This record gives sequence, C-alpha cells and structure tokens, in this order.
Amino acid sequence: MVSKRDRLFHLLLWLPLVGLLLYFLSLLGALTPFFAAETFFSTLTSPSVQSAIRISLLTATISTLLAMAIAVPVAYALSRFNFFGKRLIDTVIDIPMLLTPVALGTLLLMLFNTDFGLWLERMGFSVTYTINGVILAQFTVIVAIAIRLLKSSFDDISPRYEQVARTLGCSATRSFIRVTLPMARNGIMAALVLTWARAIAEFGATVTLAGTAKGKTATLPTSIYLAMASADLEQAVVLIVILIVLAFAVLLATRLLATGARP
Amino acid sequence: MIRARNLNHNLPGFNLRDISLDLNKGDYLTLLGPSGAGKSILLETLMGLITPDSGTIHINNLDATQLPPEQRGIAYLPQDLALFPHLSVRQNILFGAPDRKNMSAATMTWLNELLQLLNLEQLIDRRSVLNLSGGERQRVALARALLPKPKILFLDEPLSALDAFTKRQLQVKLREINRLLGVTILHVTHDREEAFMLGERIAVMIEGQIEQIGTRDELYYRPETLAAARFLLNQNIFRLEVADRDANNNLQLTGELPLTYPPDAQFNKGQKVIAGIRGEEVIIIRPDRSVPVWLQENRFMATVVDIYLKGGSHAVLTRMTDYPIDIEVEIPNCAFRDMNVNCGDQLDLCLKKQALWLLSEPEDQEISTC
Repeated sequence: MVSKRDRLFHLLLWLPLVGLLLYFLSLLGALTPFFAAETFFSTLTSPSVQSAIRISLLTATISTLLAMAIAVPVAYALSRFNFFGKRLIDTVIDIPMLLTPVALGTLLLMLFNTDFGLWLERMGFSVTYTINGVILAQFTVIVAIAIRLLKSSFDDISPRYEQVARTLGCSATRSFIRVTLPMARNGIMAALVLTWARAIAEFGATVTLAGTAKGKTATLPTSIYLAMASADLEQAVVLIVILIVLAFAVLLATRLLATGARP
Repeated sequence: MIRARNLNHNLPGFNLRDISLDLNKGDYLTLLGPSGAGKSILLETLMGLITPDSGTIHINNLDATQLPPEQRGIAYLPQDLALFPHLSVRQNILFGAPDRKNMSAATMTWLNELLQLLNLEQLIDRRSVLNLSGGERQRVALARALLPKPKILFLDEPLSALDAFTKRQLQVKLREINRLLGVTILHVTHDREEAFMLGERIAVMIEGQIEQIGTRDELYYRPETLAAARFLLNQNIFRLEVADRDANNNLQLTGELPLTYPPDAQFNKGQKVIAGIRGEEVIIIRPDRSVPVWLQENRFMATVVDIYLKGGSHAVLTRMTDYPIDIEVEIPNCAFRDMNVNCGDQLDLCLKKQALWLLSEPEDQEISTC
C-alpha cells in the first residue's frame, strides 16, 4: 500500500520523468513539418551533404584514433605512477574539457599565428581553414575526455594483476599488453565510442579554426549552421536526422559495451 | 637462495627497518606478524616490486637488488590471487609458459602432473575463472605460479579467506609442494597456528622489523624479544632482577616473584630481566603423588579464578596465594577431566626452571603481566 504522503512522493518522481520524455519527443517531432520524404533522398545524395558526411566520418575517426593514441599512455601513467607535479599536470589536462570550444578554437588560431605556427605552415602543415584544422580542433576538444575515461578504467584494475604477470616472466611492457590492455578492453571501447561521438558533434572549435567551406572543411554540425544561415531547412533537416541516427547508434553501442562482461 | 641484508624502506604508514633475512634452499619459512607489520612490503621488496631505500638482496649469490621482478625467478601468490579475469582457466595456468601457444611435450607432461597434484583435471576446461569456488581459485592460482617451475614461491596470506576445511586441505598441499617439488617457500601469515603448522622456520615481524627468526621450538619456547613473546601469546610474563647465583650456578631471580633459572653466563648479578613461561609448561603437582627432584624448585600455591575451554585444552586462570600474580595454566582436555579442577580450588604449581625463558629487560619499555 502506498500512503497518501508517499503518493505525492511518487507523483513527484514520475511527473518530471514523463514531462522530460515528452519534451524530448516533441523536439524530435518538431522535425516532421519540415520533413519531406520526396526531397529527403535527393538532399541526402546531394554533393554538399555527401561531402559533409564524408568529412565528418573521416575527421572524427582520425581525431579519435589520435586522441586515443595519446590518451592511453597518458591515462596509464597518471593512473599508475606518482611523480612530482602530478596533480598540477592532471588539472592542466582537464582545462580543455571545461573551456568552451569557441575559446579553444580561438587559442588554436592564435597559436598558429605565432612563429612556431607559421613555421609549421611553411613546412606544409597548415591548419587554418583546412581539413587538418578540423581534425586538430576535434582532437583538442576530445583528448582530455578520452584521458578521463581511460584513467578511470585503469584505476579500476588493481596493479596486482601486473605484479603477478611480472613474477610470471613478463616485462612491464608485456604485462601491460597481456593483462592491463585486455582487462581495460570495455573501458577503451566505451572511450572510443564516446570520444568519437563528441568529435562528430564538435562545432565551436572547428568553425573557429577551420571555418565551414563546403566540400573542404564543412562537417555535419557546421553544415547545419550553414544551412540554417541560408534558410535551407530541407538540408538542415536531413543533416539533423543523420546526426540523430548516429547518436542512437553510439548510445546503443555504449550500452551494449557497458553491460558486457566486466571483471 | 635469498640473502637480504639491512633492508630499509619508508612508505607512508609502513616501513621496513633494517631487515636481514636468509631463505635457504628447500626452506619453508613463515613470516608471522600482526596486520600492518610490513610483511607484504617485505615480500614485494624481495620480489623487486618495490626498490628498498637501502640494503641489498642476493638471490643465488648474485646481487639482485636492482633486478626487475621477472628476472628473479620468484613465483607469487597474493592474498587476492589476481587470477586474470579475461582468460580461461587453462590460459591462466599457462600464462607463464613461454611455449604456451605450441607446447612442448615436457610442458604438457608438467602441466598434467600439476593438474593431478592440485586436483584440477576437472576444472582445466572451464572458460572463465570468475565462477570458481574459493578453494578452486586458490588451486588454479597455485598451478599458475608453479607452472614456470620456480625455485622460490612467495605466499601472501593466500588462505585467509577460505573456510577452515578447505584451508586445511590446501595447507597440506603447500607442504607437499615444498617437500615433493623442492620449492623453497616464504609464506606470510598473521595466523599463529598456520605459521607453526607450516613453517619449519618462523620469522616474527612487528612494526617493520624482524623481532626473531628461528625454528618452531626456538620461537615457541625461547622468545628473544618481549614483542615476540607477547605476539606468540606468552601469558605468564614477569619483571625480575638477578639477585644472586646459588651453589650450582643457578640464577636466583627476585621481583614480582622469586624464581630459580638454570645457569646462564649472559646474565649478571643486578641485571633487570624479563622471565616467562608458556601456560602448557606450568605443571600442576598432584597432592597424592611424590614429587621428583626436578620439580621441587619454583613451587607456588595458587587459587583457580576462571577456566576457559580452548578446543583441545583448557586454560585455567589462577591467582598466586603469596604474590599478586596471575598464572595461566594450560591443561590438555584428558588431564583436565582426570584432575577435576574447579573454580576456587587450590593448586600446587611448578614453574619448571628448564621451561622458563629469560630476556634482559629492554630500556624504556613498559610491561604488563596481565
């Protein structure tokens, strides 16, 4: 039996939940008046949308792989070793996560305006208004997130496993490869999916550093912005639908990974 | 096999203080101490997981102080076992085999021998180690540790989480491994019974230092420090002074109670000492029997204050009639029933001089005899 007072409590629990769900569904529903099936596929196959999809998938994948390549060793070092200044380093690494991406993009622009940046550009690595810039902007935004996620995965694995592996003849490197990495598999996969999703969605830093040139640097999010700016609702709708489908896929994948066998 | 000298290491909350230890070929040495004594830190230092601040470690006469753990040839069974959760039982056991992907006939034979020794034949094909029982997990971890044929095996309280029955079975296995396979074992435990049951030699470690290292009998009957004596549950401890020597060179001790101690050159007249005797070494003289000469010294009358059952024996707490001292007497159950001891009874006790132990009193240390 639910007492009268508890009935109110239950109401207070369920009402926000139902309300929020309706709100989100109505957000999705808001698309329907602008959704026209006959133009959907022609817009989807248009060169600008196709190139936005291609650039988004390519840059997000490259920036995620780069971020993971840096984040795995950094997170492992932060998780396993104590060294002078560790806390400071830990804090500095978190800064990009809290800074608004527009500010990060601006900082990147400034960096590439210094002698060092100009030298890099002369050496052939230009970032302003190029696809390199898209990748760099995404990388800068996601690398700290990847480090956080991976560090907590490594923290969860007792160093004892590596110690036992060492006594069974493994070097530190071998025990990392044979024990820690496979044990952190689910955490690494989850970090991959989440950082990739964050990279696909990246807007502020990308648009500031790389702009949004159709077929060159325009990604899915920056293309939506461009479509809205030129009042091309049909294209905006198609791009939003693509992002929603991607978001669903990503969330489903992380759920499946999270419920997978974990030590 | 292992010779550690003057190891010092400071960690927040734990430290090793000037530890020297020898582990000889074929030894079964138990490292006994209360939790927080630094036993695991010592193991990890000897294994090379921790580098000591100072001191040296030699393994097989080679300086191993800076050697990484994988080159020391020491197998390790930690308390939580650390079975690899992402690997099957077979993969766990074969983890340390260099030829695990293409096993030689020799490895195969050795694997089968190990499986038989540890009764693992039924478990080897299990796909996960996560649903094994406590005892099964221990056996798998032991097989994994033994597969690379180590000469030395370190055990860090691996049996502490098991039920009494399974624990005993594995204790028997550990002795077998030591005896049959010739593996030298260093076994860390806080359990006194386990330490005495398994260890041919025992090292008592308290607060980061080794108080005493010796055979079971030396530890049991001849504690060398007050801390070791207390940790090994010596209940009858007295603070005394050497008063004199008698005609037979026996020491005459005075203080809380007068005692006679066999001749011993290391104690001098006037020296402050601590004496003690284990409860099971205190003899109750029966009024109806004649008393041999060797039981005529150190005789005291005492009244039974309380009686406890301690499994195989009874602990009889008595208070001396002429001295303000309590003595605990431990009597095997059969003798206890035979004597029919009850609270309030007067007992004639003999603190047999050969069973007494004597230490010079450490300075600045309080002792209580309760």
